[in-house]
Amino acid sequence: MGPVIAPDERMGEPWCAIIAALLCVLTTACNRLDHELQQHREKFESLAASAEFIGDAWLSGSTSGTYTATALSQTFLLVEKERARLASTPDALIDRRGAELSDSAEALARTIASLLDDVRGVDAPAVRQRLAAVPFAPPKRYGRNR
Amino acid sequence: MGAIVDLVLGVVTSIGGFVEVGSISTAAQAGSEFGYQLIWAIAIATAMLALLTEMSGRLAAVSRRTVAAAVRERFGIHFQLVPLTAELVIDTLLITAEIGGAAIAIKLLTNVGFEWWLAPLALLTWLLLWLSGFAVIEYGLGLLGLVTLAFVISAWQLHPDVSDIGRSFLPTTPHHHYTRYAFLAVSIVGATISPYLLNFFSSGAIEEKLTESELWVNTTTAYMGMCFGGVVSMGVLVTSAMVLQPRHILVDSYEQAALMFVPVFGHYAIPLFAAALGIGCFGAAVELTVNIGYTFSQVFNWTWGANKPRRDCARFVTAFTFVLLMALGVALMGFDPLRLTMLSVALTVVIMPIVVLPFLVLMNDKKYVKDHTSGVIANGVLAALTIVGGILAVVVVPLEMFGG
Repeated sequence: MGPVIAPDERMGEPWCAIIAALLCVLTTACNRLDHELQQHREKFESLAASAEFIGDAWLSGSTSGTYTATALSQTFLLVEKERARLASTPDALIDRRGAELSDSAEALARTIASLLDDVRGVDAPAVRQRLAAVPFAPPKRYGRNR
Repeated sequence: MGAIVDLVLGVVTSIGGFVEVGSISTAAQAGSEFGYQLIWAIAIATAMLALLTEMSGRLAAVSRRTVAAAVRERFGIHFQLVPLTAELVIDTLLITAEIGGAAIAIKLLTNVGFEWWLAPLALLTWLLLWLSGFAVIEYGLGLLGLVTLAFVISAWQLHPDVSDIGRSFLPTTPHHHYTRYAFLAVSIVGATISPYLLNFFSSGAIEEKLTESELWVNTTTAYMGMCFGGVVSMGVLVTSAMVLQPRHILVDSYEQAALMFVPVFGHYAIPLFAAALGIGCFGAAVELTVNIGYTFSQVFNWTWGANKPRRDCARFVTAFTFVLLMALGVALMGFDPLRLTMLSVALTVVIMPIVVLPFLVLMNDKKYVKDHTSGVIANGVLAALTIVGGILAVVVVPLEMFGG
């Protein structure tokens, strides 16, 4: 005959297991969301830094208007693709951090579109002004001669 | 004297022909995401490539057979259909990626959508193959490809920390993004060791009538050419690590990758990057296309040769024309050139065991290579790395492509 187990203890074991499993699922889901948001953020930061580098290179006279327009158009497309990817995850948009990320990404897309317009119009002061406020970009400046 | 000229030309063109769309993409991404940390992958892949090209030249010089012909003869047509099909799929994707890379290079200079350049570039590839012989394909494009040395100059000018680079020759675990790290390592290997190179080099040795007494030329060309070529690839990675990583720029497009030249070359940066990318990709597209003609002709015993009048090798011409049209068809369906490149080079590692392992068997068969069989170390290292790479690729490619 095996050891006698109190009824409440016997009942406790499966409940504990279910709660632990639920906690595991929730933690994994949260971690997954965190990971996804972090990946989106890194992508937007990279695209913002690219737009800044492209603008700086144009201002310093290192790159032509043709390349700058091509590169900014491509960066704009990549921002839009990433925004669509972020928007395709409802959980990310419900999350406060995800919603903020989405707003900043929209601002980034608008800034790049404006930069593109300024470069086409060869308006260096406007480009300089926009580069001072690129969302996601680290606050550092490089030399500009144009 | 002739052998010395062949040797110098072989080494120089190997350097010029080393870098193409795959190596630029993978090394640029690796540098921007992990700094110097993946240099070991380039070093290992380069060493493997040097061993494999030396072996394929040796096989051709001693047995007077190319790799495709020898595999068919030794293992039979039923076995040969497996690597042939795998190579056909991967090479078609790679031709698409290379033509896409060359089209992007033109787009960087003109701001005209790359899709518009795909058909003209495919036509130019076909015309070059129709009108010229092996020397133009191999040496002409290889010499033009020396423009890729700009990556080495740029890395040198940026004064990297040599001890940091030296330490990166030993594999280390990344601090973040493990799957991505493994995927990039696999992709670097796939971009460096394209299976088509085995047959291309052996076919080249037959075209150039390499003899058993000239094996030293083959050995020196393979080792020196590939090792210097590997340095060019490392130049891409180091430049990317020094210019793009500190600015937190991850390479998601060739437009971003082109920025790596700006600090060193200033006004010449974009034209130089476009030239390196364009020539490298176009050269690789031409080599891949002619190699498809070689492979099919050798497997099915048709007349072949880039130096033969085209009317004498109609099926050889038809084979490469058909595959070039297939690649153009894939390209015109619409694709992301960088994503396709990364997918193709990673899949290359998946199919590598079915191409490399039978080849290693041949290289130990005295019927083919007489007393010039490969050593135990070369056999063991190549077999082990090929299998490990294949298994790793099977795991990380789906994880990277579909998330995980």
